Amino acid sequence: MNSRATSILLFVIAAALVSVVALVLLARGGAKPGDTARANVSNVGESQVIEISAKGGFSPRDVTAKAGTATTLKIKTSSTFDCSSSLTIPKLGYQTNLPPSGETVVDVPPQKPGSTLTGLCSMGMYSFTIQFE
Amino acid sequence: MTAAGIETYTFHVNGMHCRACVLLSESELAEHPRVVSAKSSLRTRSVEIRGDFGDRPPEDIAEELSTFLSEHSLSTTVHKRQVDWDEFGVAVPIAISCAAVFVLLQEIGVVNLVSGDTVTYGMAFLVGITASLSTCMAIVGGLVLSISATFARLGDRTKPQTLFHIGRIASFLVLGGVIGLLGSAFRLNSTGTFVLSLTVALFMLALGVNLLGVFRWSNPLQPSMPRFVSKRALGTTNLTHAFTPALVGGATFFLPCGFTQAMQFYAVSTGSLVAGALTMFFFALGTLPALALLSFTSLAVRTKTKQGVFFKTAGLLVILFAVFNAVNSLAAIGVIEPVFNW
Repeated sequence: MNSRATSILLFVIAAALVSVVALVLLARGGAKPGDTARANVSNVGESQVIEISAKGGFSPRDVTAKAGTATTLKIKTSSTFDCSSSLTIPKLGYQTNLPPSGETVVDVPPQKPGSTLTGLCSMGMYSFTIQFE
Repeated sequence: MTAAGIETYTFHVNGMHCRACVLLSESELAEHPRVVSAKSSLRTRSVEIRGDFGDRPPEDIAEELSTFLSEHSLSTTVHKRQVDWDEFGVAVPIAISCAAVFVLLQEIGVVNLVSGDTVTYGMAFLVGITASLSTCMAIVGGLVLSISATFARLGDRTKPQTLFHIGRIASFLVLGGVIGLLGSAFRLNSTGTFVLSLTVALFMLALGVNLLGVFRWSNPLQPSMPRFVSKRALGTTNLTHAFTPALVGGATFFLPCGFTQAMQFYAVSTGSLVAGALTMFFFALGTLPALALLSFTSLAVRTKTKQGVFFKTAGLLVILFAVFNAVNSLAAIGVIEPVFNW
């Protein structure tokens, strides 16, 4: 077998696969199928509540919230057994194991305008970012 | 046979990395009826053979002697093996394709296949299967691939791999029972997780680079014993061969893999020895098919050219996984912004 031909053929296959992945990533446009347009930030009196679901990653991944306001994070899980159930928020020094199904509340002190808060799974493969404005 | 027929041949020994290999190759080759003496050298990775082979060409002799060594899977070839850059022509696209499939699997969302709130043993098994196809693959799978390929390169094809998996499943059963009984898990804090992930990533990086076969250095998995010790205890070397993979397999219980942690968390909540043990056992069993496939792929490649390609592909994939893990663990402690997000 001509090794050069094999090599070229394999490179073509690899290029095709990479393009498929690139297309899928582009089509997603940073949003997961589970993401909805509904505002997940609601105001309760003086504070705001941000709802984030955790299963196979966090959704939504990008949240914009008000700065200088006490914030409550509500992390919802439903049969979550993947890494997103092991949540860390490095900036707050927060780390927990979320229950497989349920709701976990995290209190976030008021944040400075322009600052961000990132939550990740303990291995760092899934994350969400809250932008405070 | 007359003394006049005895000639000296020098052959290169592929895959000779440890001092024990030197002794084994010497004693194995000496068993050949036509070999008068054999002297191996680890430094030059060659063996000097004195024997009567008539007028047979060296290639022919090398091939015949190789079959004698196959048990210890050292092989003798005439030419010193050069870095075969052509093999990268095949290995690189295969590695890229595998990485693309891995990303695709995450995008499709294998994770979302799991539903239901109660953790039955069947469910634990299903989570195990999902885990082995998901991001955990990067850390546990990467480790499995790097270790199995390294052992396969040293010539041990089935035993270390099998022991690794037995060690893994046994430790999940036993430690699952322990955490169920104690009602608490030895959970690492984020610094601990970071240190462990980074160590594993560096370890994988070293093995991956080694698998590429571009640089020559002794194998990190093979502790180099003084020759006089190993000469006395050839049996002991086999013992190390057996225990290391089993221990590493068992230690995967502590690897920072989200799925494992979630399952351990559940095992703790059962507060029962049996339930904890069985949950973790079925979870480990679920991860077995994919991980076993990874570690036994090396069995399918028999010819020398295919092996070269296989080890290079494995090396590239392991390096990719190592970098992926290192970047993720840096993101997890907040040093850098998250790079990957699935």
